Formats: sequence, structure tokens, C-alpha cells
Amino acid sequence: MRVEFLGIPRERAGVAELELDAETLGQLLAVLERRFPALGALVDAGRLHPSLLASLNGDRFVSDPRTRLSTSDCVLILSADAGG
Amino acid sequence: MQAADMSVAPFGYHGAYLRIDVSNGRVDRVPIAETVLRQFLGGVGLGAWLLLEENGATADALGPDAPIAFVFSPLVGSPLTTSAKFAVVSKSPLTDRINDSLASSGFAIAGKRCGCDAIVIVGRAAELSTLVIDDGRVRLETAADLRGATCGAAESALKARLGTGYEVATIGPAGERGVRYATISHDGRHAGRGGSGAVLGSKNLKAIAVRGTERCEWARPRELAEYSKALSARSFGPATAKYRELGTAANLLTFNRLGVLPTRNFQSGTFNAAPSISPEEIRQTHSKTRASCVACTIGCEHIYSLGDDNGVRLEYENLFALGPLCGVGDADAVLRASRLCDDVGIDTISAGGTIAFAMECVERGWLDEPWLLFGSGDAVLKAIDLIARREGIGDLLADGSRRAAQAIGHDSIAFAPQVKGLEIPGYEPRGLQTMALGFAVGGRGADHNRSGAYEVDFSERVDRKHATSDAVQYAIQTEDKSALMDSLIICKFLRGVFEDFYGEAADMLRLVTGWDTSAEELRETARRIVGAKREFNLLAGWTPEEDTLPDRFLETALDGDEDSVLSRERLNALVGEYRRQRGWSPVD
Repeated sequence: MRVEFLGIPRERAGVAELELDAETLGQLLAVLERRFPALGALVDAGRLHPSLLASLNGDRFVSDPRTRLSTSDCVLILSADAGG
Repeated sequence: MQAADMSVAPFGYHGAYLRIDVSNGRVDRVPIAETVLRQFLGGVGLGAWLLLEENGATADALGPDAPIAFVFSPLVGSPLTTSAKFAVVSKSPLTDRINDSLASSGFAIAGKRCGCDAIVIVGRAAELSTLVIDDGRVRLETAADLRGATCGAAESALKARLGTGYEVATIGPAGERGVRYATISHDGRHAGRGGSGAVLGSKNLKAIAVRGTERCEWARPRELAEYSKALSARSFGPATAKYRELGTAANLLTFNRLGVLPTRNFQSGTFNAAPSISPEEIRQTHSKTRASCVACTIGCEHIYSLGDDNGVRLEYENLFALGPLCGVGDADAVLRASRLCDDVGIDTISAGGTIAFAMECVERGWLDEPWLLFGSGDAVLKAIDLIARREGIGDLLADGSRRAAQAIGHDSIAFAPQVKGLEIPGYEPRGLQTMALGFAVGGRGADHNRSGAYEVDFSERVDRKHATSDAVQYAIQTEDKSALMDSLIICKFLRGVFEDFYGEAADMLRLVTGWDTSAEELRETARRIVGAKREFNLLAGWTPEEDTLPDRFLETALDGDEDSVLSRERLNALVGEYRRQRGWSPVD
């Protein structure tokens, strides 16, 4: 599946997007934690720090590590604070 | 002019406001009861109370009787991070409803040191003037030589002329000419929305200069210092990283990806050229520095160079309004337009919204201004200049998109991007439907600072494209929280730092004032402040029909996203539920 980074997650990951395999949101975050330690600092026990959000395909925001993912999903990891 | 004697005040306050009539030079020091201070705190809350006391609701917004209040807060001058803020509260010449806008920095501290919790100005000076408040002494000085000066130039000139210790708030040429969305500027920041600059201009005031030595005592200074130190340390954490590292402009690519970036006068929610004007891209081509307001540890300001001496503070709202909303994808053009708005002193959201509206009217053949085309950065710059001068089409656009639509006709009001006359900020309502409710019921019109309902849309709590009544309670919560933050006053960029905001707000207020304030008391205070603003609007002639959005948002799906539909029935149901939960009659 495709993972896109926006805002601070992109700053921490150093890339805008990548492809990887994961069956759940928790698995996906564990992979990201290993691959991008700076981003990993914002992951705790399979959940993103409250300053970040995960969105499935830009439509639905999710946080439960058990959330099932499909290969056709696009997972967005973005900064939560939208104000400005 | 000399204010009268001091009176006993609670910790954190002076217990009085200065009332200055610039028509006749009369200055009164008017006591404020401690019960009032505790009920309305400061900032927008105390400002709403002051305007009700001064009968501001029924006055002509640009008439001499209309009061304009510069309001400080109990936290101003304390070591609490982000607390150097002031509110400017008046009747808006754009909406004819209550308007409260905030700005930051040294003016708040110096103003409060003049020995007052607020400065209320009425009347009209005989000539263009500067109101100088030096401790309790008040005088008017001619500002005839500053007529037409930009905000920054006027502030610099006055600081040089008046000498050490003064902080200055000014209007630009747009405020002098009564542009209905003119700002009041201080230190490069603006009390931006709703036209407070036009109100000051209507009083023939180019600027207010303040200097003072009266410091408030804190109830528990040692504990306050310790709490402040800990809060500052927390303010360096992940919750504020976006503001520090990228600034609010980081919203641009996120909103574009989610399809909620208002583009070409809200005709689309995505903009192909968004990457080229994103902060991630601009920082590759323009040198950047960072800055903070006085007494702030976050440092959210990202200032981009255009190759000359004057950098440009770039915020998301400037970027969206002068970029995608007008179809402009040229970073230099957006930066120049943003700087021009700051120089002439106009609100970037209303400027961009009104210009984008005019561009669509040109596109439809309803305005004969063939140069005013979507995508043209030069056209945006030219339009801003004409607006500030009130010349040509600029005279019409200086009154905002609602009045422009009424003049243009052709049912163009259906796509004038405003609520109650205030242009809609950079959140597409059809894709962010809790925010749509916040816009519709907003007391000062479409506004993202008095309702943070977009936070609800960016969460698991609601379906942002299909809002139900479940969203209403959350929208109310964000509105109440904003009212409290804007009255204490502390910066909303701190909000992610607090796990229990009301509890910590009560702690802060206890340390400053000594009151035995509780979280529950502050929840009640927030509701009272929202209610006071509603009371003002009722007196000013509010009708239930105002709490809606333009037809475009209620009759058409978002271009390219047929799932983003906000019907009139859905919005009406949300508004009805909002009033029910507020305990407000649907027709009062």
C-alpha cells in the first residue's frame, strides 16, 4: 500500500511517500518506527502521538492499531493541528 | 487630559478602563467591579461586556458614537508563555455584528502598564491624529504627516518621534479610507478580521501609542514563575512542532490532499499548483528566518525574503487566500500580495475572498474588468492596490464580497464567499461539515478562530463529509474553548500542550488572581462570553436567517468530489440542534 507523509511526519521521514506492506495500522506504524527513527519518536505502543493523525484514503481518520488495512489503501500520516 | 485616581483592584488587574472621547479630549477612568472581571476575564470576554455597557450594538459601526475597545487580560505581563496579547473589540463595519480580533506583542504589555485593563475610544478627532497614552496621561498629536503611510512606516516613524518605551498600533492607508476589512497593525502583526482598522480610521486616528510603568501584582508569584517555566518547557514539545518548523502554511499540502483547499473562489477543493507555493517548496527558493511574539516560546512566524529588506510573514490564511483562492500558483506573487496587504493594512482573507469573488464575476461576464482573471498574480496585486486606494473597482471591493454582490446583482450573492459579510477562511465547508456549522453560527461571521470545529472534522469523532447532530456538541466545545482562550488571553497554538485545558486554565488564573477558580467555573465563563456576544448581535439586529452559508455550498457538490455535499436541510438541522443545545430560542 502507499503511505504518504504530510507536514511534520514528512519532515521526520524525509520522504513524501513510500510503498510498504502491513495488515494493520499498528503493523504499519511499527515498520515506520524502525525505518524512520525520527518519526518513530512520535509513535508509542502502536499509536501516533496526539499531534499526528492517520487517515485512510483521506476520508476516514483512524487510530486503533488493530485497524485493518488493505493493499489498495492509501494511508496518510499528517500533522493534527490544522489551525492557522 | 489626565485620568483620575487609581482604585483597589484584584491581583492581575488594574480594576478600571480608560474611556477616551477623542472628539472633546475627555478622559475617564472607569472602575470595573471585580465580579465583572471574574465573569468576563479580559480580551474578547471583557471586550463584549464593555461594548454592551457602551451601547455599541446600536451605533453606526463607523460613526463617532461607536466604541472601539483595546482590551488586555489578567495574564498579560505575567511570565506565562504566549500571554502578551490584546483584543480589539468593536462593531464590525463589514458585518454590522460584533467583531473581536486579536494581536500580539509589546503593545499588550505596554498598554496594560498604562494602568488600565482596557482602553475604550469614542468620538472623532478633528484631524488625523495619534492617540498617545503615557501612563495615565492622554494626549492627541497630529498625524497629518503620516497620512497614506504604510502600517510599518507609520509605526517606525512614531516610535522614533515619541522616544523610548512606546509601543504603537497603527492603521494603513486602507484604514484611513474606510476599507471595511482594514486591520490594526502592531509589530508586523495584525488585529485582522472584521475591519477594526476602518473603525479606528473613522475616529481620525492613525495610531495609538502606549507607554507605562504601572505593573500588576500576582497573587502567587513564586508558584506562577514555576508553573510558567514548566509550561514553557512543554511548549517546545511535539504539540507545537508544526508551528515551529513549518508554520501554519504547512496546512496547504494537507488540505490539498484532503480536497478541502478552497480554490478559485471555492469552485474546487484542490489546486494543481499547490506544491509550488507550499512552504516545503518556498523554503528551497527563498531564504527564511523565524520570529516570535514578545513573551512567546513557540516561534511560529516564518518570514520569507523577497530579496530586499522587508521579509514576508507567511501564514496559511494569507497563502490560501492570495494563492489558490485566486488561482495563483506563483510563490513570488503570493508573497508580494501578502506583503502588500500587510503594508496597506487589510485582512488577507477578506481581500483574497473578495478578489476571488470578483474574478468569478468577470469570468461570468458580470464585471467589465478584463484584467481581473483567476491565475494572475499581477491582477491580485493591482486589485489590492485599488482596494487600499478605493479607486475604480477597488472602491466596490473595499466593501467586501457581500456588498459587492448586492451591487453586481445576477444572484452573485450565491457564491459571494461570506457569512454575515465576513469572508470564509481556508476551510472548504462541504468537506469539513462541522466547520461549516461553526461558520454558519459564528457571531462575527465565517471564522476559524472563534470556532475550531475543523479539529472535530480532523478526528475520528465525525464523518467530515456527512455531519450529523453528533457533531454539534463538539462544535460547541471548540467555540467555548476559543472564547476562554481569547479572554484569558493565551495563544491557541498552545492548545495541544494541555491535557486538561480548563483545569490548567483555572490553575493559571488562581496563580495570577488568587481567585479560587475551578474548571467548571471557567466552562460557565466561556458560555457566558459566547452568550454576551450573542446578546450584542441580537441588539444589533441579528436574524436567524443569517446563520447559514451561501447557496453554492448548499446546492452543489464540491467539484471532483461528489461525496462532499452539504445540503440546506443538513445545515439547517445542525444549526437547529446547535441552538437547542445552547438553550437559545430558534427565533429570538
